[in-house]
Formats: sequence, C-alpha cells, structure tokens
Amino acid sequence: MLTCKEASFLASKEMDGTLSWREKMALRLHVGMCDMCRRYLRDLKRLRVMMRRAGIVGQTLLPTTATLSEKARERIKQALNNAAQFHK
Amino acid sequence: MTYELSTPDQWLELYGDALYRYAITRVRDPDLAADLLQDTLLAALKAKDNFMGQASEQTWLTGILKHKMIDFFRKSSREKTDTMGDEVADYKNDSFFDEKGSWRVDLSVWSKPDKALEQEEFLAVLQRCVDKLPQKMSQVFILRELDGMESEEICDVMAISSLNNFWVMLSRARVQLRHCLDMNWFNQ
Repeated sequence: MLTCKEASFLASKEMDGTLSWREKMALRLHVGMCDMCRRYLRDLKRLRVMMRRAGIVGQTLLPTTATLSEKARERIKQALNNAAQFHK
Repeated sequence: MTYELSTPDQWLELYGDALYRYAITRVRDPDLAADLLQDTLLAALKAKDNFMGQASEQTWLTGILKHKMIDFFRKSSREKTDTMGDEVADYKNDSFFDEKGSWRVDLSVWSKPDKALEQEEFLAVLQRCVDKLPQKMSQVFILRELDGMESEEICDVMAISSLNNFWVMLSRARVQLRHCLDMNWFNQ
C-alpha cells in the first residue's frame, strides 16, 4: 500500500512521463481509498489547465501593470540607437 | 518581396513591456529580464532582413527572446551544477508529510468556480506562489506547465541529471504550489 507521499509523487510523475502498469495500479488503488489524494490528483489537473491557459493567452502570469523600468528602457533605447548607427 | 517592419524604437515602444513580462516570468530577476530583452532587440535588428512576415512581429520577437532565454538557462545551469543535488536531497525533510508519509497539511476543497481562475487577481496569486519556490524549481515548473515543454528537453536545458530528479523536483513544486494556493486564494 502506497503512502500519501508516494501517491503524490506518482500523481505528479504521471503528468510528466508514463507510469509502469504496477505504478498505475498502486496509484489507482490508493486514490480509490484516500479522499485527500483524490482531491490532490484532481487539483493537479486543474492547476495544469490554469497554467496552460495562462501560457496560451498571455504567456505570462504577470498583470499588464508589470512594466519595464524607465531606466532599463532608456538603456535599451541607447543600445539600439548605437547598433542602428553601426548597421547603416 | 520585403515586408514592412516597424523600427527598433517602435519595437521597444509596442512590445517592450510584453516581452519584458515574458522574460521576467521565466527568469525572475528584473535586470536579467531587461538584459535578455536588449539582447533580443539587438539580435532582431541584425536579423530584420530575414523577417519573412509569416508571423506577426510580436511572435517573431518572442521567438528570438525564447531562444535567448533557453541559451541563458543552458549556460547558467552548467555553471552551478551542485544546486540540483541540494534541492533533491532535502526531499526527506518534508513539511507536507509526516514520518509515516501521510499528509501533514490539510487539503481544502477548491470550491471557487473555475471562471474565477481567469481573473488577473488569481494569476497574481499564482505568480506569487510560483515565486516562493526555489529558483530552479520555479523555472522548471514554468517551462513545463506554462510553456508545455517536454520533460527530456527541460532536463537537457536545465542540466538535470536524471528524469527521476526531474520528477522529484516537479512533484515538490506541485505540493508546495497547491498548498500556497490553498492558503492564499481558495481558503482565505
């Protein structure tokens, strides 16, 4: 019988690779009897959906209020201007 | 035939902030994110004659930024090879499970409707929770879940020695994240 710690590991591993038949059966058996791990498994899937959705929509988790600092912007502008002169 | 591109000054104006957010979500450090943005725009300036217009300007620039970032991860993860070992080693001292391997923390029911999860407010909480992870762990998690990169490729880019270490790292990240979301969003 798996512990919750082992089950949580297999639940996560299943999202990034493949479980052996034995691992799969052990996980199903544990989850069938353990409310906490059943919830954990379901929430991992939801977490994945949320992350992928964010990845597709804006490719970031940050709000649009997160912006480049003025200082960095000036520095980059300068570097671009110098390079543009050079490429002319 | 040539395609009309905006000038590099306009790139910065139009896409600078979006590209910056892309970078900082993945590397976490503001100065580093700005450096990557600068490298990206300089590379774009050099390569602008090759731009064929198959993609939007922003997609093209994001593609260059992604390459710059992967290069950066490759280099930096090979410079400090010992950090991975540390993160896996302390897996035994786990605050989320007791010595018998049962959950030590309570897992609350996520009752808020999924619609609420699209709000920027929720994304901000998620971002804060990801930021609390150890740096390499958060980078690996973002590459895997936000970008959907394959496991083997992430191991290669981040110099993770085995798939098993990779699975252990991600499993830890998910337990921590789920708990952080419980505390800061679902169970306030």
